[in-house]
Amino acid sequence: MRGGTPLRRHLAAALMLMPLVVFLGLFFVWPIITMLSEAVSDPVVVKTLPATTEAARAWDRQTPGAGALGQALVDDIRATTDDQAMGDVVRRLNSAKSGFRTLMMKTLSAARGSTGPLDLTTVDERWKDNGYWEAIAAAAQSRYTDRNLLAALDYARNPQGSIEALPPAASNNADIFKRTFVISGLVTLMCIALGYPFAMLAASVTGWKRQLLLGAVLLPLWTSLLVRTAAWFILLQDRGMINSTLLGLGIISEPLPLLFNRLGVVIAMTHVLLPFMVLPIFSVLIGIPGNLMPAAQSLGASKLRAFWHVLLPLSLRGVASGALLVFMSAIGYYITPALIGGPRDQMISSIIAFYATGTANWGMAGALGIILLAATLALYAVYHRLTSDRALRV
Amino acid sequence: MFKAARILFGIMVVSFLIAPLLVILPLGFTDSIFLSYPIPGFSWRWFHELFTADAWRRSIINSLIVGSGTTILATVLGTLAALGLRDRLVPFSGFFKTAFLLPMVVPAVVLGVGMQILFVKLGVAYTYPGVIIAHTVLAIPFVVVNVSASLDGIDRRIERAAASLGAPPHVVFQKVTLPLAIPGVLSGAVFAFATSLDEVVLTLFVAGPNQRTLARQMFSTIRENISPAIASAAFLFITGTIILALITVYVRSQTQRSARRPN
Amino acid sequence: MSDPYILFQNVSKSFGPLTVIKDLDLAIDKGEFVSLLGPSGSGKTTILMMLAGFENPTSGAVIVGGQHVEKLPPHKRNMGVVFQSYALFPHMTVAENVAFPLNMRGVAKPDSAARVQRALDMVQLGAYKERKPSQLSGGQQQRVALARALVFEPAVVLMDEPLGALDKQLREQMQLDIRDLHKRLGLTIVFVTHDQSEALTMSDRIAVFNHGKIEQIGKPSDIYDHPKTRFVAEFIGETNLVEGTITKVGKDRTTITLKQGGKLVVDTRPGLEAGAAATISIRPERIHFDRTAERENDFPGTVLDRVYHGDHIRVVLETRDQRFIVKTDRRMAVLDEGDKASASFTANACWVVG
Repeated sequence: MRGGTPLRRHLAAALMLMPLVVFLGLFFVWPIITMLSEAVSDPVVVKTLPATTEAARAWDRQTPGAGALGQALVDDIRATTDDQAMGDVVRRLNSAKSGFRTLMMKTLSAARGSTGPLDLTTVDERWKDNGYWEAIAAAAQSRYTDRNLLAALDYARNPQGSIEALPPAASNNADIFKRTFVISGLVTLMCIALGYPFAMLAASVTGWKRQLLLGAVLLPLWTSLLVRTAAWFILLQDRGMINSTLLGLGIISEPLPLLFNRLGVVIAMTHVLLPFMVLPIFSVLIGIPGNLMPAAQSLGASKLRAFWHVLLPLSLRGVASGALLVFMSAIGYYITPALIGGPRDQMISSIIAFYATGTANWGMAGALGIILLAATLALYAVYHRLTSDRALRV
Repeated sequence: MFKAARILFGIMVVSFLIAPLLVILPLGFTDSIFLSYPIPGFSWRWFHELFTADAWRRSIINSLIVGSGTTILATVLGTLAALGLRDRLVPFSGFFKTAFLLPMVVPAVVLGVGMQILFVKLGVAYTYPGVIIAHTVLAIPFVVVNVSASLDGIDRRIERAAASLGAPPHVVFQKVTLPLAIPGVLSGAVFAFATSLDEVVLTLFVAGPNQRTLARQMFSTIRENISPAIASAAFLFITGTIILALITVYVRSQTQRSARRPN
Repeated sequence: MSDPYILFQNVSKSFGPLTVIKDLDLAIDKGEFVSLLGPSGSGKTTILMMLAGFENPTSGAVIVGGQHVEKLPPHKRNMGVVFQSYALFPHMTVAENVAFPLNMRGVAKPDSAARVQRALDMVQLGAYKERKPSQLSGGQQQRVALARALVFEPAVVLMDEPLGALDKQLREQMQLDIRDLHKRLGLTIVFVTHDQSEALTMSDRIAVFNHGKIEQIGKPSDIYDHPKTRFVAEFIGETNLVEGTITKVGKDRTTITLKQGGKLVVDTRPGLEAGAAATISIRPERIHFDRTAERENDFPGTVLDRVYHGDHIRVVLETRDQRFIVKTDRRMAVLDEGDKASASFTANACWVVG
């Protein structure tokens, strides 16, 4: 064949692949890496207080910190002109040990208002407390920190550097993770409960009936997520269809609270994710030879036992991949809980969004994001393994 | 008895799936300021609002701008990559194939936070290109999957037949491979546009007030001052979806009519 | 002779407006090997499914061992069914597949294990217990299905085209194996097939089905040599059908005149009447090219086509009255297209089908 030398074809293929690889490298991988590094980077003290950093690394933590580090800190303060960076330092130190804000304000004005050696213990008594110096030393330890990651799991390092749990009042990330998993688990169970029998039904009929059942599954999949969420918002509100029907029938005398609570979130998310359960189960059921159930029955199994011993074990793979798909999608959900849920139904994504856009605490947002990402990718890896040798992927 | 239960269950699940979509449609035509039944009277006022109120009009235009940009960028990049992945001529093809699906998997909020931080540094945050890039990342998997599927569906023997009849490789590609892959490219493009149209989360992070899309506008309207304009917007969305679905179905039927592998 | 073990009485089966089985009567004795033979859609599989309990007759009675079973669910019928494409459970090992019916019957573990071993040894698969069905060849899967259907010692074994998926050589081997098992274990087997040679090789009796009715039931040699209807004659093996009018019924010989005036002599048997139209079946292998005294029928003609088949040669001979297909042995290889030859056969080779 003319012109079709293998090397040329390999090169052409590589060239065609290149733009997307570069694009995703730049705008998919890099953002994630940026977020990861934001979560673990902690450069303010090292960058803004270089002399103090050096002195802190030589300090034995036994002798008074004021003597070993004091002059270096004063020099650093006098050398710094970047007020914003100094503000970051104060915020960073204050988050490690409260009291730093007032202490540093006092120290800043004292250092800038004088020249030559300055004994900080005369500026403020608190500098005699080595706790403050240890906090500075800890912050100067490296450009990287596990502080955000630990905080994301409700842990922190004490001044001695060992990890301990935060008091329950200080943080509730573990609660939110737990809530995320509970809601996602509930949604997954609901999807199995509705999706498995529905898939069986769709697999057992033919012709227009099957088209109708599958169409009902595919239509929501095709419809905007936002539209579906809006529809549930309308259905679930106090004056919504569900409540007015129930009121009209006299079943209830007051509107049921369905919106801004857990029940509403689970209903709406089940609706959104049900297709991801039905389709994998359906495709597995369709692939099971039709004569296995009759065979089991002819061998003496009642319909129920035949289902239990034959159909169920054979379709478990579909259930597993459907469940993984639903659970994996559910833990990352943002829009539905944000619109349908109340404050106590916000899942981890909402908290990440809050840290990122609400308080610009990208370190925390990134740290929580890492955990969510790790959980998602782990689930996806299992899903991928489960489905890669058969064409089940949706 | 058992049969009746089956039918009842089927009806229940079908209505659970379909009912919400049916409920929202008529509300787009209410003349009330409330999003609830019964509808006091028919009116076009909320559609009128959609196309005249500045925030809504702007958001529709933005969605069209961002959607078109995303469709073009994602289709070009995704189609090239799918062609490159064909025949596994590149090392680690399997890895790339899986990796190209990951934007569908990674939680949107995680990607959004990362994009916000990076895009600010790169200076593309709060710009149209920034939003288009973000949406393209999400749309890529759909294009790659669709184009790959239609390439996989091409019977090799047809290309070999063309070669045996005297066509050099680039002519085989031009006259045989590409025309047969076109339906996949088109349905990938439709998916890309639909993805962009519906995207909220990344938009929240990387778009400024000037790039507010229709979906983003709906999101904040539901959150802040729920108004029947949402139902009108939903009506547009659903009709748009049906049109896109019909296009895809048509394109698919074309694909099936053209040469398929015998199995 | 005792009462038949399986009895279909006046059974009809319809699916909506479509009637698949019409007023069927069928009796099968214990220990008998009966094949249900017919083209697809002739109703033979429906009979099997009614026997196994997967279909209920619309009307009529199905009696097995003296019991009415029309309403009995499949799992209580105690019939071993070997399905088309085997229906082995893909998630179970060979041993688990074979143990399944024993588990369903609550047979204790040690006993069950021994019976599974015996059943697998019987089909020469004792060494494959731990394999999954997907790791076996088609023939091996077939034998597992057989072991699974036999292990619980069912009253009847039903087989639905069990050999259809195998290649020719394996199929012939399995036919012999199944026949052998039938003899050794004294099984009652109802065997559905559309392959006439399979039915001829294996069965005690064959029931030929067409359009939901039994066209003929009888021993293989009867069905082959003495087909009752044109359909049976054509469906079982290849044949030459000659049409004519009975002109003379003698004591031993009956003469039939063909349309072009040719005469055919057949054995006289009751029911042949002068003046009636008759269709005569002559098997190709019973026609010869060399005339002898006892070959009373002789039709000279021209060789139209000649195809070499290895063990025989198939010749198409055009005569004035009829085009004959002749299967002859290799000595006739000298014949060539256009040669003159003559089709000769005995009166006994002709069978009036009706």
